Amino acid sequence: MNGALDIVTAVLLIAGGLFCVVGGIGLHRFSEFYQRTHAASVTDTAGAGLMLLGLMFQGGLSMVTLKLVLVLAFLFFSSPAIAHALVKAAHGHGLALELDDPGRDGDAAG
Amino acid sequence: MRLGVLALLAAVWLSLSGPYTVHEWLIFAFGAVSVAFVWRLYVALDRAAGGGSEFFRPSSWLRLPRFLVAFALKVAAANLHTTKLILSPKIELHPRLRRVPASQKTSFGQVLYANFITLTPGTITLDLRDDELLVYALDAESEADVMDGSMDRDVLRLEGGSD
Repeated sequence: MNGALDIVTAVLLIAGGLFCVVGGIGLHRFSEFYQRTHAASVTDTAGAGLMLLGLMFQGGLSMVTLKLVLVLAFLFFSSPAIAHALVKAAHGHGLALELDDPGRDGDAAG
Repeated sequence: MRLGVLALLAAVWLSLSGPYTVHEWLIFAFGAVSVAFVWRLYVALDRAAGGGSEFFRPSSWLRLPRFLVAFALKVAAANLHTTKLILSPKIELHPRLRRVPASQKTSFGQVLYANFITLTPGTITLDLRDDELLVYALDAESEADVMDGSMDRDVLRLEGGSD
């Protein structure tokens, strides 16, 4: 029983770690600021989420797991707020978006 | 009068099961001040946002699990897609900007929708104005996830509006 839980935790931790690495790779491979925020959100969601889930299997039904759930809940609110603050500040200060079809909805409208 | 009852009850509770040592009193006092401060902040923010407390009704909490499942599935799918974009041998992005209607009634609901989009890798909300979101998407597939309106409906359902 314990062995199975440990395996589940290990798989989730490794998967979460891989997504964190993928986010880091994306941060380097993408070419401009706005694209890079998308890569970072892979780390924020899949990376952090899978790792926390893996740790919950170790905590079982306990205060530890409750606290892990709370960490997830705080991330749920703080991470998009931070991402939004970053891109809105960049957009508001005129950092141009590289768009495929600037014609359709127009950057100027923002 | 009510304050008097409150003070009396507090005094009785404190003397029977409250803190005893100076150290415990200090921790208790800090805790009480923190609770009061956060409550004050919450009331002020709620007033500034023009309400949104609909979300804190029990009926909303009952709808939360279904929303969280839909949310987790969509975020997972978007993560896989963005991972594919990141790891593909040749980076091929077709970034685009779209205006997306946010049909939620409350500002809390609209912010929740905007955050939902931002948390989904591949799409990010730049602005929220006049019931409309300005969304930046990495490519056509990421854009389609938002434009089909399913996330909008997920949040609407949680809000308690019509499907």
